[in-house]
Amino acid sequence: MSSIHLKALTKSFGNFEAIKQMDLMVRDGEFLALLGPSGCGKSTTMNIIAGMEAPSTGRVFFDERDVSDVPMTRRGVGFVFQNYAIFTHMNVRANLAYGLRMRGVGPAEIDRRVAAIAEFLQLTPFLDQPSAKLSVNILQRLAIGRSAIVEPAIFLLDEPLSNVDAAFRAVMRTELKHLQRQFKQTMVYVTHDQLEAMTMADRIAVMDHGVLQQVGTPLEVYNNPANIFVARFIGSPGMNLVPATLVERDGALLADLGAAGASRPLEAGLAAAARAAGAREVWFGFRPEGVNLAADGQGLAVTITFLERIGSRTIVHFDAAGTAGKAVFENDVPLAAGTVAQLVPADALVRLFDRQSGLAIGGA
Amino acid sequence: MAAIEFRSVSKRFGKTMAVDDVSFRIEDGEFFCFFGPPLSGKSTILRLILGLERPDAGEILFDGRPVTEVGPAERNVAMVFQNLALFPHLTARGNVEFPLRERKVDAATMARRVAEVAEKLHIGHILNKLPAHLSGGERQRVAIARALVRDPVAYLMDDPISALDARLREETRVELKRIQTELGRTLIYVTHDQEEAMSIADRMAVLEAGRIRQIGTPTDVYDRPESDYVARLLGSPMINILEAVGEGPQVRLAGGAIALDGAAVPAGTVRVGVRPENLALREGSDATVYEVEPLGSFTVVTLTAGDERLRALLRGQPQVVPDSRVGLHVDPAKLHFFAEDGRRVAASAA
Repeated sequence: MSSIHLKALTKSFGNFEAIKQMDLMVRDGEFLALLGPSGCGKSTTMNIIAGMEAPSTGRVFFDERDVSDVPMTRRGVGFVFQNYAIFTHMNVRANLAYGLRMRGVGPAEIDRRVAAIAEFLQLTPFLDQPSAKLSVNILQRLAIGRSAIVEPAIFLLDEPLSNVDAAFRAVMRTELKHLQRQFKQTMVYVTHDQLEAMTMADRIAVMDHGVLQQVGTPLEVYNNPANIFVARFIGSPGMNLVPATLVERDGALLADLGAAGASRPLEAGLAAAARAAGAREVWFGFRPEGVNLAADGQGLAVTITFLERIGSRTIVHFDAAGTAGKAVFENDVPLAAGTVAQLVPADALVRLFDRQSGLAIGGA
Repeated sequence: MAAIEFRSVSKRFGKTMAVDDVSFRIEDGEFFCFFGPPLSGKSTILRLILGLERPDAGEILFDGRPVTEVGPAERNVAMVFQNLALFPHLTARGNVEFPLRERKVDAATMARRVAEVAEKLHIGHILNKLPAHLSGGERQRVAIARALVRDPVAYLMDDPISALDARLREETRVELKRIQTELGRTLIYVTHDQEEAMSIADRMAVLEAGRIRQIGTPTDVYDRPESDYVARLLGSPMINILEAVGEGPQVRLAGGAIALDGAAVPAGTVRVGVRPENLALREGSDATVYEVEPLGSFTVVTLTAGDERLRALLRGQPQVVPDSRVGLHVDPAKLHFFAEDGRRVAASAA
């Protein structure tokens, strides 16, 4: 077991700054997701932890040990790649046993551990099959099993579920999370899929353009995003952001939504934070799920542009005076495309972001 | 414009029945989706519609007219491919003009046709750009414009947005639906993504191993799956299909762990489907919490009860502790009953 500490890390490729100054602590036994869109620097960060890339500046520590100059093979890191890296000339059993054989583990111990990991990953029926002809779903489990079997102190996974089908992905999310909770490896999981990060991670490190945007538990980043990037990126759909101006009226602080509708009074804590920050031009943020329908003049006046019914949910697409947004309802809602509706976000779920900096006001 | 009909169409490749006695009728102007796992026959059906494959048996009709013997060019059905297949060295205009140039259409007609589709698809302002300089959504529109410029009777799309990331896919499918609604053309769409199918289709056909298992509106198919196979394919997380234990009003699920609270279980029921959103937690010790996955707006709780693994989709951010014992409650009105052969058993009238 081991913690990972990245100190003042930077990485440039020529003129391209893949990572601009990053400090990150992954706790011992923690499942941390590195989340961001493609090109955000998450895979580079992982490659530096693994020792596949050297940082341009900064240091990498495992516990108190500086491993910046330790080669990959001696870092004790298990790595699962997007493209599996399975030995196709070996059967499933030999692939699973490979890491243990290389470490000189005895045959009885190898058999025991292969049987255990195969059972856990539901690979037992395939143990004697050649790996060249396995389905993608089974290959993926095999790739995870092959790394997990050597019980590395640190387990790194780079988009391991990106090629498997949706139903199996959902199952693997649960199983990976369960595996990590049982064995308590320090796990770093790279993904562009906020759903994977939310469902599995103890904490999420959100990255964009080589900069760490926020580190927090899934519900912290969902409930209190640090900035508008995180607000939009986390959640499915992401947070709605409508431009608003804060105005004092009769001792209360209101968010004036302009042409989009009535002024909304702010909840006391948020109003205090906004006053303290001297905020005026803001993004008025609310989650698509925390929305109710209201009578005329009570809320955000929106034109419904499109309705999507997906199973038991309905996603309502709307336009609020030129700003596109979404609201999610359970089951059917009495709304039709082309009509005007009044939406009211639940006060406790409203978040404000500075229009200039994009940073959250209060909360985060 | 055309209604497209299959009458008992079969197509065999070697020993595999790729399409096995398939019949359907797609109405003129409909957004129709073929949905199923890989190799279930979706793409072969598209190729049969296009005329790229000949059926071994059965008949294909466009607007009631048999086209089984008609070649692909004369069928005038346009295809938008999975990767959009825009020519990177041609501007958006060059791409849209391409099918007309191939047919040696004169310059004036070509300019008029391109202007018409560009207006319909709102791409007039980007016609001089190269694909590399367009957004994913714009490329999509250009690809559709290129398909439409020939004025096809129907257009077909084979998993056109599967390569995009999740967020972009959600945006693009809405865009596609809007375009189709505006154009009013028959659109036949193949996808393996259940959420996509439910989101955009007017009606959908669910396929298994070359056979159609169910045709209906997405709501019908989701709310009344005709088999446990179809029930499993729609919905995320997947529906819980649980063995029924006992008889009549005494039926319980998951090795006896779940009581049905007086649900009228019809005779012949062997398995019961419970959608994760219809499974609630309460005080008790029916099941053990295996994992808890917060999504912000929802929380997915995986449970073990008896020998079975099941999932509940709870609203909001409830506190559920892994490894703790919880009680389970199912809404008796929201159950799906299935017989031994997997077919739906109609709920008793009572």
